[in-house]
Amino acid sequence: MKGTNASITSNKNKGVWHSMKKNYAAYLFLLPKLTLFIVFIAIPVVWAFILSFQEYQIIGGNEWAGLSNYLSVFESEAFKKALLNTTIYTAVTVPFNVITALIAASLIHSLGRFAQGFFRAAFYLPTVASMVIIAMVWRWMYNYEFGLFNYVIGWFGFEPLNWLGQSNTALWAIIIMQMLIPFGVGIILYLASMSSISESLYEAATIDGANALQKWVKITVPMLKPSTVYLVLLSTIGSFQVFTQIILMTGGGPGYATETIVHLIYKTGFRDFEFGLAAAQSVVLFFIILVISILQYRALRHDE
Amino acid sequence: MKGKMTKILALFIMVVLIGVLAACNDDSSNTNEDGEWTGKITIWDGPRWAQEGDDSGEDGEGNKYFWIEEKIEEFEAEHEGVEIELVQVPWAELPDKLGVNIAGQSWPDIAPVDISGSAVSIEHIEQGVIESVDEYFTEEELADFYDNALEAYTHEGSLYGVPNSVTVHSMLLNLDLFEEAGVTPPENGEWTWEEFVDTAEQLTFDRDGDGETDVYGFSTYILDGYYEAWPFFYMDGGQPLSDDLSEFTFDSPEAVEAIQKLADLKLEQEVAPVSMGGADVGGTFQAWADEEQRTVAMQPWATWAITSAQTAYPTNFMVANYPTGSTGEPGTIGGVGGWTMFHQEEEGKKEVVAEFIKHISNADEQYRMASEYGVFPALESAADMDPYADNPEMARAQEMSDQVINLPSHPEWKKIDEVIQRELQLVFNGEKTAEEAMADAKPEVEELLD
Repeated sequence: MKGTNASITSNKNKGVWHSMKKNYAAYLFLLPKLTLFIVFIAIPVVWAFILSFQEYQIIGGNEWAGLSNYLSVFESEAFKKALLNTTIYTAVTVPFNVITALIAASLIHSLGRFAQGFFRAAFYLPTVASMVIIAMVWRWMYNYEFGLFNYVIGWFGFEPLNWLGQSNTALWAIIIMQMLIPFGVGIILYLASMSSISESLYEAATIDGANALQKWVKITVPMLKPSTVYLVLLSTIGSFQVFTQIILMTGGGPGYATETIVHLIYKTGFRDFEFGLAAAQSVVLFFIILVISILQYRALRHDE
Repeated sequence: MKGKMTKILALFIMVVLIGVLAACNDDSSNTNEDGEWTGKITIWDGPRWAQEGDDSGEDGEGNKYFWIEEKIEEFEAEHEGVEIELVQVPWAELPDKLGVNIAGQSWPDIAPVDISGSAVSIEHIEQGVIESVDEYFTEEELADFYDNALEAYTHEGSLYGVPNSVTVHSMLLNLDLFEEAGVTPPENGEWTWEEFVDTAEQLTFDRDGDGETDVYGFSTYILDGYYEAWPFFYMDGGQPLSDDLSEFTFDSPEAVEAIQKLADLKLEQEVAPVSMGGADVGGTFQAWADEEQRTVAMQPWATWAITSAQTAYPTNFMVANYPTGSTGEPGTIGGVGGWTMFHQEEEGKKEVVAEFIKHISNADEQYRMASEYGVFPALESAADMDPYADNPEMARAQEMSDQVINLPSHPEWKKIDEVIQRELQLVFNGEKTAEEAMADAKPEVEELLD
């Protein structure tokens, strides 16, 4: 039996090698990309994982630290606050952005060709604009003395708010900003998916007497489910990595009101030079995102 | 076919290997006929000032690296075989960029940083990233430096850098707003806390009669690594850590009261805008200096703001001390700039690097930097040349050099600073009292001190 297993493995290896030889040109073309992936992604990821069990030394070898970096992560009040803030940020922005992208795409899809092109470009524009510029503009809009938001709420008789300076408003100010920036990628993807939904489904529904809303709920939304799953996963991963807005608009303050995980990792690594601890924080973030993504994927694909 | 594939693969691997080896190959160095080291030195520097009349460059501001380029050229001419590469780094990017390079062990040979923690810290000294320059200075040469300048680069009795400039924080008073409100500025820029509060109250006014305050007496900001507000916290005798750095002392009554008094300028007296105590550095400065705003009459700033108010934002202003509290003595926080040498493998190169640092830090260069760039010299002999004969504001700020209180020199200062400043932000937005905030900071800080 042992001999038979060895023979199967050997045949398999031969098969792989034979396939590689047969398709050598394809492998050759893949080699540069694969090399870049190994050098710039795979090795750093593995190295970060190893580093998370070490105490980083700039000169001289790193020292093994066992699980102490992970213990520090779970005991850290700053990490707990950052995790809570990041979770709130994600829990609010992801559903809102995906739903509004779906609604916007549905409205745009019913327009004429020229109008569709215009709105596609308009809604996609913030995606290509630098988050640095967007954050600077929004910081101005949140300014207490002459910002647009206080000007607008003033019309309704409200007192001006110190949007980014108060613990109870700062995180929400960042969340509102993210909610009001159109989710360009989502809109484009939904529009592309809508084009591929068969017209015959809508025709059949019309014959059955369905109105526009019923058609949207019963046909469009279910048919777009694969896109929705993809967008929810994509934006959840992106939201858990929120950084630029934080460093530019609040620096994580006041207090730790807007501290997020990636901002904390950045500070731990590049301000405190505790790369072992920063690597442990990164690994924890990786597993959080992984678990949430798996749960979301399973929940959303449940009935398929 | 197999042979062809093997050849192509071998060629690819060779190209990759050559690339990797070329990248890993350090700059070659050698010695010349006289036995002196030859090779390449890398220096980082930020933009300083442009020559008069130079409006080159995309922004028309001229070449602000000409001074260091000139010094490099001189040095290379005197040292055959030595090549100095200048890496131009905007000041705002320098700490982060240096941090990344230190992490990757690809630091420059020389960089214009101090060891207080903004870019490099005592921890780097302890890890061997920063070289001591003790052996390159005689007692006589060291005696020419101001004590506080040397102190800022000294750790456990060794010198880890060459000071080339000193800065202080001072109060900047917009005299146009004083005139508009009919307020007399403090005589010689000296005042007590009570006089300061009284002045701030008079300078807070409704300009257009709509019932809203248009101009505030005072404002500042609170942010990790920035200390404009801190001299106020010291004025009644408070200090963040005990002298032996073993205890957190910002929870003492004298510190807590001073912090609360400053926060109350906004929270109680309403002579400061709501944005006071926020983290917006640029916005705070614009409120004082920008011609279209000028909504705040008095702000504390480091020395660069004096130069800015004389050039980029022409302002009619005067320099004043921080007000005195119960100690009766004015105080300020200072900063010391200079050149730091990073870890060197070769003794010969280390000597040449030290020589170049001395070449760009001598009295003549410090005098030039003081008169052109708006910093105070770290050498007494350079100050004796009177670089501010035609600049009374800078001369007044320089007088404050002897009021400087140094921040605690602790390896964990960056983290301690963050804990304190985060709590201070909550005091200034009224979420905690100073007493509560400092009581909350205490256990966190003391854990870092242990």
